[in-house]
Amino acid sequence: MDIQPGATPADRPGTTGRRGFLALAAATGAAALCGLPAFTASAAPLRPARSPLLPAADAAKNQLWWQAPGSAGSMIGQGLPVGNGRLGALASNDPAAELLTVTDATLWTGGANDTLQDDGQFPYGRDDFGSLTLLAQLTVAIPGHDLGGVDGYRRVLDMAQGVVTTTYDIAGVTYQRQLFASRPDDVIVLAFSQRGGGSYTGTVSLAGTHGETTAADPASRTASFAAALGNGLRYGAAVTVSSSTGKVAADGGSLTFTGCRDLTVVLSGGTDYAPDASAGFRDPSADPHALALTKVRAAARHSATTLLDTHVADFRAVFEQFGLNLGTSSAAQRELDTWQRVQARWRDGVPDPELEAGYLQYGRYLMISGSRGSLPMGLQSVWLDGNDPDWMGDYHTDINIQMNYWLADRAALSGCFDAFADYCLAQLPSWTDTTRRLFESPANRYRNSGGKVAGWTVAISTNPYGGGGWWWHPAGNAWLCHNLYEHYEFTQDRDYLAKVYPLLKGAVQFWEARLLTTTVTDASGASREVLVADSDWSPEQGPLDAKGITYAQELVWNLFGHYRTATQVLGTDTGYGAAVEALRDRLYLPVVSPTTGWLEEWMSPDNLGETTHRHLSPLFGLFPGDRIRPDDSTPKDVLAGATALLTARGMNSFGWANAWRSLCWARLKDAEKAYQLVVTNLRPSAGGSNGSAMNLFDIYQVEQGRGIFQIDANFGTPAAVLEMLVYSRPGHVELLPALPAAWAAAGSVSGVGIRGGFVADLSWRDGKVTEATLRSVGGRSTTVVAGGAVRTVDLRPGESVTLRHLG
Amino acid sequence: MRSSSSPAPRGTARGLMRRSVRALLVLAVTAGVAVAAPAATGAGAAAPAPADPAGAGAATPYMGWSSWSMQSSQYPGLNPDGSYSYLTEANVLKQTDALAAKLKDFGYTYVNIDAGWWMDNSWTPGYDQYGRQRPDPVRFPHGMKPVADHIHAKGLKAGIYLPVGLEKGAYGDGKVPILGAPGCTTADAVYPDLRTTNGWDSAYKLDFGSPCAQAYVDSQAQAFADWGYDFLKLDGVGPGSSRSGDNYDNVPDVAAWQKAIAATGRPIHLELSWSLDIGHAADWQRYSDGWRIDTDVECYCNTLVTWENSVNDRWNDAPAWSGKAGPGGWNDLDAVDVGNGAMDGLTQAERQSYMTLWAINKSPLFTGDDITSLDSYGVSLLTNREVIAVDQNTSPVARPVTPVGDQQVWATANPDGSYTVALFNLAGAPASVTADWAALGFTGNASVRDLWNKRDLGPYRDRITEALPAHGSRLFTVRPNGRTLATTGYEAESAANTLGGNAAVAGCDTCSGGKKVGNLYDGGTLRFNGVTVKKAGIYTVKVRYVSGDPRSVTVSSDGGNGTSLPFPSTGDWSTTATVSVRLALKAGANTVTFDSGAGGYAPDIDRIDVPTSL
Repeated sequence: MDIQPGATPADRPGTTGRRGFLALAAATGAAALCGLPAFTASAAPLRPARSPLLPAADAAKNQLWWQAPGSAGSMIGQGLPVGNGRLGALASNDPAAELLTVTDATLWTGGANDTLQDDGQFPYGRDDFGSLTLLAQLTVAIPGHDLGGVDGYRRVLDMAQGVVTTTYDIAGVTYQRQLFASRPDDVIVLAFSQRGGGSYTGTVSLAGTHGETTAADPASRTASFAAALGNGLRYGAAVTVSSSTGKVAADGGSLTFTGCRDLTVVLSGGTDYAPDASAGFRDPSADPHALALTKVRAAARHSATTLLDTHVADFRAVFEQFGLNLGTSSAAQRELDTWQRVQARWRDGVPDPELEAGYLQYGRYLMISGSRGSLPMGLQSVWLDGNDPDWMGDYHTDINIQMNYWLADRAALSGCFDAFADYCLAQLPSWTDTTRRLFESPANRYRNSGGKVAGWTVAISTNPYGGGGWWWHPAGNAWLCHNLYEHYEFTQDRDYLAKVYPLLKGAVQFWEARLLTTTVTDASGASREVLVADSDWSPEQGPLDAKGITYAQELVWNLFGHYRTATQVLGTDTGYGAAVEALRDRLYLPVVSPTTGWLEEWMSPDNLGETTHRHLSPLFGLFPGDRIRPDDSTPKDVLAGATALLTARGMNSFGWANAWRSLCWARLKDAEKAYQLVVTNLRPSAGGSNGSAMNLFDIYQVEQGRGIFQIDANFGTPAAVLEMLVYSRPGHVELLPALPAAWAAAGSVSGVGIRGGFVADLSWRDGKVTEATLRSVGGRSTTVVAGGAVRTVDLRPGESVTLRHLG
Repeated sequence: MRSSSSPAPRGTARGLMRRSVRALLVLAVTAGVAVAAPAATGAGAAAPAPADPAGAGAATPYMGWSSWSMQSSQYPGLNPDGSYSYLTEANVLKQTDALAAKLKDFGYTYVNIDAGWWMDNSWTPGYDQYGRQRPDPVRFPHGMKPVADHIHAKGLKAGIYLPVGLEKGAYGDGKVPILGAPGCTTADAVYPDLRTTNGWDSAYKLDFGSPCAQAYVDSQAQAFADWGYDFLKLDGVGPGSSRSGDNYDNVPDVAAWQKAIAATGRPIHLELSWSLDIGHAADWQRYSDGWRIDTDVECYCNTLVTWENSVNDRWNDAPAWSGKAGPGGWNDLDAVDVGNGAMDGLTQAERQSYMTLWAINKSPLFTGDDITSLDSYGVSLLTNREVIAVDQNTSPVARPVTPVGDQQVWATANPDGSYTVALFNLAGAPASVTADWAALGFTGNASVRDLWNKRDLGPYRDRITEALPAHGSRLFTVRPNGRTLATTGYEAESAANTLGGNAAVAGCDTCSGGKKVGNLYDGGTLRFNGVTVKKAGIYTVKVRYVSGDPRSVTVSSDGGNGTSLPFPSTGDWSTTATVSVRLALKAGANTVTFDSGAGGYAPDIDRIDVPTSL
């Protein structure tokens, strides 16, 4: 083994000129990912001094492409997503009828919703709990470009640069439009151009979706609206159109363009939402309508090229922190467009490693586009096709929002995690208040038997106004804290830990007040006193009121351990931390049922639920927890019971459930099962069936013929791919723990986050690691296991080491 | 009316069945002098002029206008005096003038009066003293002959309509005399038990065992000849028209009509309707000039048609008939209502697809639109000479060359070596559709002409892919400049293959090697073993099969999941056809499996042909 310490990170496989662009991005100020989750005035972006656009051949490595557009009726499955982390849009890319369904992550109806129904549930309607809704629909009608007369139609989603490019020919003229959502300029841009003497004539219309009236201003060639929702949330949107040739005019509420050889359409908008419970989640000083107009006018002063360059410099800098190569696809596969490739992958059963790597990168693309500087991503992130998203497009706290963020640190998107942490922090005062006031309500079937409540927890659904929906979800706090704490494990960012510490502590206090003492009899016949969770529901099946469910026991065990470490790291509450550690030692942990042979989900040998239920709640300890490990640290019977339960849950569920299964199989080092579940999620969705839509959004079939988009699998499945390549916990890293045969020939990955504070780059051949580089982002020491080799690495923050000749 | 009584849950055209029991008015009919139809005029040299100036033989599919679509619609203002009241002399003459002015130069020559010319506005029929349909004096105050005269004066041809059989209202008490047949009364022309016939059971079945039956048909034909009509649509004909069984076997009626028309000495095109039984295709070919293969295209709603109502059924139903059409008789897909988007009830994409399917199937092209108010897009659809030529030229009727899922490719080989290729997207969302040249039997470059957009698109290598809107289409002429595709054939009956379930080898005269593999149902499988290629890749594999109805089969290679693919009907269980499927094959030996699936019924498989190179 060679160990080559170095003070700077090596260039990684799969990236291009990374260091140069890091410098560039820093200059634009875009590398700072954490921002205020609000629509506010932003400093004038610094413009890149030279073009950051990738050479075509390099860009091609991270592109998806299609040979048909979407339409107004097919946006969820065919619209291509863009977003600047706050504003998101789905685009049809129809030549004659470009349609963007645009939203802002904060455009929520509803409110605090802090009255329980008689049955103990929180109301769950679009007026009380609320729903994410659309900000606007932007259409660009170009009547002369009817699809029936268009040849060579093609649209490309460039994931590395964050640009959707549509090209087509009409009678010898090649038309092109580029769509991007710029974070530095805080606008969405559609830039139209052509080659061959063509021009554009048509209409740009900006329409609200809540009955707003759009007004056009001929002088500034803008169209805009201002409005407020029933809950008082004020919002506004604006669009402007410019061209260096032809004529742009206002016509009623629309903007018309005539004979334009080029055309730039710039849109912005937002709300007066503020992440501040004490201010009722509003910023009374904000004027979203004026701000939208200011932003589009400011952006429109720059050329489309300048706006594109500024955006690409920002986007690339984030995207290129990570690279993935799972192997080389065949010439026949490369000839196919993305949708044909998805279909061929399923039809032929032939691995398509570039498609599979592209699917992971697509998850990263979505996260960069959907989770920067505003609210975190809910069930659909910022991609809606109407105002009635299923389950309100909300935050589901019993797997979905957690899964959304498993990918972030693993895939070099730690900055995108901030939206999640900032959300929890902003909600904490409301969550604490609501818990104090409502949790012990006699209507709440999950109230603490002891009559005392402390700290905070959440309902199964949460909104951005401190409100909950559906049932109380006692262990939801620990679930959220797991993500919050893992982010610290990856980053070793002590300041961050201090910031989220109140969340951890409040959750611990909640459980300290809630745990019950009971006596259990071990298999040996010996009795002992243990602590168990009060009445609870193992999501979302079986008895509603069971004590000591495995889900809660595992989560609390996990929470208490993390809390103890946090007090030590921060040097605060260390006495309390020790007391919590002692409570942890007394927690009941699940046993294997003598009846089923499965790890018990309830404190019962019987299967009280559905054998193949989607949730893997009792397997939290396998993933994302790591109490249950396929090594000597875990009793063999527990490992066997967990494996048997996972096996019984089956291999044929849908989206996020498959992703979770894949993650668990990866943890058990069953590479082929883990891979099979990834492949299953890549199955082409037809008529709403489970699988991937044309735009690779994950579709969950809720009933025959009706599939809905749930974004969690788009993040959970890529997380599983990474978990197959690298397993880590503080102080311990395993390389290629579950590499499937399909990817074994040769590959590489760079930028993988390691719990314990490292980033890894590795390459492999014939299933064996050929080279691995670890860079410390705060970690000091870890063992590295690859093949049969075990190495110990000691580094100071910023240092890296390259390991060769492993195993 | 017409198929309005078919099982499809639509419409109110059952009005035809309503009739009063009041005594028949007996009216003297002035027998007109037979007037020879003027030769078709006006078609320019470049126009695909109908090759049937004498009205005999139906050398090409006829083109024109029919009254029924507007009669059947509840579109505002069309039928102010009750259902089907659009049919009047004034409206027919108005449409005649518009047809002559706008469409005649493109080959549209027939003005066809559909059901109701002998019905008053409450749909009560009138008959003459010989039991023949009498023009309604309100609708046609001058009778039918002046209408035909006007049509002829415009250089067009006149069409008229009858239901098959002796209408109940014409029967009288059985004592109505039959013209030109002394001693015959209506009772002598039908069965003594008054068994009913036709798609609505609105008539007594004629008994051709009696000469009086032929005499009755002769008398009807003579009236049309006397009035100067050039076309007759005979409706409710069975087997077909949602009817089967002896009482609805109208083959003798159709034969009698052919004979009766011949006896008049006037060429009269005989078109049959509706949903004719394909099992009797030989009869329809022998006795008629065309036959409706499907139910009414009309929706009996607030527009003329809708896509879902039954326009889109034709993609499923037409392939079975592809081998039945040719000079002398054509597969009639019903009216082509594409001329006015608002009235038609279709998107532009749907209208283009509609016209495209009709053209490649060589269906008669008769519009049911209001020709006085065609929109510009409708005019462009109805008057594209290149598309009309596809309908009228001598190439065979097109067939699907791919399985018939939401995205389909249809093609036919033209005598000059080129191919007519149509792409369809029947899905409700946009999709790309690819025509692989390998499915046409060649590889390499081909030049592509876009017929709808009238543009040469230049050379395309191995395939063309286009983005199609929901329900959209493209229509191309593809001229190969490459080479013939070399393939290796594998017979289904080969002993090297593996049969599963009930699958079994069966004789098949038209199949390659005289055998096929059938009984592919309920899990029955056929696995070709040792399908060998030199280079790994995705191949276009041609499947020759037999299927008397549309059936699906899951086709896979090696360990793949495969795809469930709908194969179009070949028309019967002794006719073969081919479709091409895309499959990954690895270098060396592969398996290709056809699996009927649990509970499924798959086509019989004759053979596959695998390209020897990519």
